[in-house]
Amino acid sequence: MATTPTPTRPTTLVGTAALEIDDRIPISGWVRRTLNKVFPDHWSFLLGEIALYSFVVLLLSGTYLTFFYDASMQEVSYNGVYDALRGVEMSAAYQSTLNISFDVRGGLMIRQMHHWAALLFVAAIVLHLLRIYFTGAYRRPRETNWFIGIVLLVLAMLEGFAGYTLPDDLLSGTGLRIFSAVFLSIPVIGTWVYFTVFGGDFPGELIIGRLYILHVLIIPAVILALIALHLTVLVKQKHTQFPGAGRTEHNVVGHRLFPVFAGKATALFFMVFGVCAALGGLVQINPFWLFGPYNPSQVSAGSQPDWYIGFIDGGARMFPPWEIHLWGYHIPPVLWGALGIPGLMFGALALWPIIERKVTGDTASHHLLQRPRDTPVRTSLGVMALVAYGVLLITGGNDIVADKFDISLNAMTWFGRLGFVILPPIAYALTYRICLGLERHDREVLEHGIETGVIRRLPHGEFIEVHQPLGPVDEHGHGTLAYGGASVPKKMNQVGGARRAIKGFFRPIEEPAAVQAAAEREARGLEAEHASRELTGSGRPSEGGRPQEPRD
Amino acid sequence: MSTTHDRPGSGGGADVPGPLHGGPDDDYTPEQLAAMDRLELDRLGARYDGVEILHVEPGPRPGSPQERREVRKVAAAFTLAGVFALLFAVVYFGSNWFLPDWKWNAGGNNTWGALYTPLLGATMGLALIFVGVGLVLFVKNLLPHETAVQDKHDGSHFDRVTTSSTLLQTYHNADFKRRKFLTRSLGFVGGAFGLMLILPIGGLIKNPNKGNPLGTTPWANGVRLLRDDGTPIRPADQQPGSLATVFPAVEHGNKAADAAVMLIRLRPDQLQDLQPPAGQTDFPYGDYVAYSKICTHAGCPVSLYEQETGRILCPCHQSQFDVTDGAKPVFGPATRRLPMLPLALDDEGYFVARGDFPEPVGPSFWNIGRIDSGRSS
Amino acid sequence: MSTTNSSSDARPRRGLLSSRRRPSAGTPAAAARDRRRSKQRRRLANVAGLMAALVLTGVGYSVVAPGASAADDGPTFNSAVDAGRDIYTRSCITCHGSNLQGVSKRGPSLIGVGSASVYFQVHTGRMPLVRQEAQAAERPPVFSDEEIDQLMAYIQANGGGPTLPSGDLRDGDLAEGGELFRLNCAQCHNFTGEGGALSSGKRAPSLSEANDLTIYAAMLSGPENMPVFGDNQLDPSEKRAIINYVQTMKAQADPGGAGVGRVGPVAEGLVMWTVGVGVLLFGIFWMGTKAP
Repeated sequence: MATTPTPTRPTTLVGTAALEIDDRIPISGWVRRTLNKVFPDHWSFLLGEIALYSFVVLLLSGTYLTFFYDASMQEVSYNGVYDALRGVEMSAAYQSTLNISFDVRGGLMIRQMHHWAALLFVAAIVLHLLRIYFTGAYRRPRETNWFIGIVLLVLAMLEGFAGYTLPDDLLSGTGLRIFSAVFLSIPVIGTWVYFTVFGGDFPGELIIGRLYILHVLIIPAVILALIALHLTVLVKQKHTQFPGAGRTEHNVVGHRLFPVFAGKATALFFMVFGVCAALGGLVQINPFWLFGPYNPSQVSAGSQPDWYIGFIDGGARMFPPWEIHLWGYHIPPVLWGALGIPGLMFGALALWPIIERKVTGDTASHHLLQRPRDTPVRTSLGVMALVAYGVLLITGGNDIVADKFDISLNAMTWFGRLGFVILPPIAYALTYRICLGLERHDREVLEHGIETGVIRRLPHGEFIEVHQPLGPVDEHGHGTLAYGGASVPKKMNQVGGARRAIKGFFRPIEEPAAVQAAAEREARGLEAEHASRELTGSGRPSEGGRPQEPRD
Repeated sequence: MSTTHDRPGSGGGADVPGPLHGGPDDDYTPEQLAAMDRLELDRLGARYDGVEILHVEPGPRPGSPQERREVRKVAAAFTLAGVFALLFAVVYFGSNWFLPDWKWNAGGNNTWGALYTPLLGATMGLALIFVGVGLVLFVKNLLPHETAVQDKHDGSHFDRVTTSSTLLQTYHNADFKRRKFLTRSLGFVGGAFGLMLILPIGGLIKNPNKGNPLGTTPWANGVRLLRDDGTPIRPADQQPGSLATVFPAVEHGNKAADAAVMLIRLRPDQLQDLQPPAGQTDFPYGDYVAYSKICTHAGCPVSLYEQETGRILCPCHQSQFDVTDGAKPVFGPATRRLPMLPLALDDEGYFVARGDFPEPVGPSFWNIGRIDSGRSS
Repeated sequence: MSTTNSSSDARPRRGLLSSRRRPSAGTPAAAARDRRRSKQRRRLANVAGLMAALVLTGVGYSVVAPGASAADDGPTFNSAVDAGRDIYTRSCITCHGSNLQGVSKRGPSLIGVGSASVYFQVHTGRMPLVRQEAQAAERPPVFSDEEIDQLMAYIQANGGGPTLPSGDLRDGDLAEGGELFRLNCAQCHNFTGEGGALSSGKRAPSLSEANDLTIYAAMLSGPENMPVFGDNQLDPSEKRAIINYVQTMKAQADPGGAGVGRVGPVAEGLVMWTVGVGVLLFGIFWMGTKAP
């Protein structure tokens, strides 16, 4: 260095402002550490983010709705713009929801966006949970975060149910009535719980107000706190990653938070927001003005809860009429269908990391994910649970299925009863076989190489297919690479052996002919080399075939 | 640690500024840092945070056709987003100004009223989605792509030992083991405090056994059956094979959650098969029977009455009841009959109840078999 | 609402409930109504004998008792009745018998069902029946409107029963119709008349194709498993209010975008998982792919 530069003060306005801030609150170190944080890149790692962003949409749109909503069960006579309900007696809650939809400019769109975001929120949580489960990301040290996640799922469902009930319409009121029966069915304390929740006999005059404060304050606050905890733990523990080249239990390979990860995450936020807004305007959801105000003596065919409560309703529909009588006391079947099955499900989910640790004896810390095929028992159990859940979900809408597909309603109920018992074990067995098959195929490719599709005739007349080994081979021509938990290339173009794929997501962004020409140029060079190569007895090139290593 | 710097803002007072952050500020003087270019500084910071940049795939070459194409795409996406955002504003504010009224008019012409919300959603959705698309295109196609690796650190043994020592030192100094009186008083105040905090929950609790609300309904001897509009019913009013939802003639009877009753007039062939439950053979009146409308499974109003098969279906969980067999559950999850209301005529020839239901209406619960049934005739 | 807007009590004990309005006692409408009621009661006694015939029919479709507003005989031009007899002997006699008395295990008696029932069954194509099954399927009518009129005249002349109404069948209050619809109809036909499943493969049909007369005739005659709503249970103005509500809702556009069948959360959940989740999954796949 010729001259020693001297440190200069920033000259731009932003730079000066940053300096002034950091001089008062020294945060530049923390900011740099955050920006430098490395996140692995995989599409499935973004599922949880969808849930997070739909929650942000929920907070924004929900806050807007609270400016107009009136959580009161006071009887009023409607006299607004929607003439099909004019003069009908309804609660103030229903009336204010009508006003949001018909009197507030753009209110209907915000209300529908809120409802769609709620459906998306739970859906994204479930997808995120499935990703975590099937890749074993909940193993030590992430049991805590798994548990927080399960609690968040339950809270999201409760939050959704409370919100679904707030319009006090006939559909949600019917749902609330069923919930009251579930409370009532709890042994010993059922009637006490029921009277405590409703402040007297159903429906009373308190429940909408209570659900409202749960919906807008208590549950969201807990959800928000738990999300903050969830993310803090995630940042502290660093993200898991799939096994692959250079990836170990002690590092994270990917992009730094800034700019790539932050850019994509922000983009995803806008997309989630956009999808909720588009659905909120384009697809009508919960048209409660068609349902009418709640009245305990009215009901509609096809009364359903929102999708995430559907499996609970399905459990209640499917469960046989088995009422237990104990010395004059009763335990009604709705308890098992609507409380027992979900209780078992969430209990098993919450305890699963502990159960697995006990059963497998694996108490080590894991930061590398597992492919579902490599843990056939876990994967099969997961698919089994999913099938059981699916049967319950379908049963939760069995009257609509019966009506739309012209199936007997009683047959649909029996499908639910039998399917819940019979289909999950079948799913388990099938999944297990599939996992083993995939595992074996991986091992086979590692040992014998990739099928090239090139058929050779040996001097003594035998025809063989040339296999492309993935690494060094032993004296029998068998690959010596061990399976490392990462995906094994199974096609020649995945190891650069065929013409590589044309780039571009929506449409090719390079000229196919040019790629073809380049590939041919390359191939000609290799052909010359190949011609001088002898074949071994097993039909494989003795030193391992054309490309020794993946080229890209 | 002992070196001092002439750092901005630290030169003022008479006291000596404390030691600086240490760490990198010890290793790199401002002069050294000033000698590095931006990329070097970026990598230096990354290295300091345990991040190694393995590989950088540069973005498109400046001035190349590819770059121009990508810039055009990103700019187009952002422009479209802005256009849709403006369109949203036009639709939002323009309605009832230079566009038709957005307000819903159920009876009349609703072309714009039905388009308003979809247009708002489409414009806002597309505006947001295009911002996202532009950002992704920008990040993916215009920024260099680096592959970085960051080390993971396990918990620090040093931190554990020092932190626990700090905590334990105070515990040791407090000496609860020896100061028994202090410990006991703390235990006492903890328990009492907990009790104090928990007790207000008692205000929420309601006694379900006070006045037997679960065993009784507004029905009683002599209470008329009224339609929803408040008119009483004579036996001639309904056709065979019909069902009407009726309510007790008491204040807010048509809003009571447990009072709705299905008044069914049976067809003659059904009347032959009618078998009321034991002890309730006198409950029907002529070819009329009356059952509680509240399902004994989960409390939904059951009233999908199939007049040919004589079945009542609950739309919530598909329990089915046979009206000619005392509303016995014949399919689905319900376990108990729908309670039957005893019918009679009053002096003016209108239907009245002869008492409350003989058993509790609605879903089963723990002590349903033990509470008084409402019938007190 | 009914013809007047008076809200005073017209009947004993009413007014205890929050009620809709009926004509007060003094109005001509109420007087006419009372006259009609007493007349109907007398008539009911007369037709009681006819019910014995109904007892004989075990299986069948759309068996209903003689209607309340019967015997205001419709057009009884002999030519129409004769033409109706021809159609009857050609297409109906196999199951319903030569004297409308019904055939055991094949078809019910048509005595007392009235022309309203004939209109409903034949106009919606349920009759003539294609095959014996749990429920007659709706299809395009087999007979022309003129032939249906002739058949109605024949059945009315020989069996009697409720007849079709005339006038504007939507002459009723929209909101009252909605309340009545939710109380009496929605449990089977769904909030918006989309229909729903009944037990063992039967179903309450969608009202999307039903015209005013069909709905009115169905309420009057109670076809198949549908309960009967006689004129003393739901008076003609209430029936008209219900029809007004059903038809208005059918014609009404959805203010909130695509209605997705107006069947509620099942369709919404499906849209969520296919469109919402689908679009976002596509988005994250696209984001995750490597830059070119």
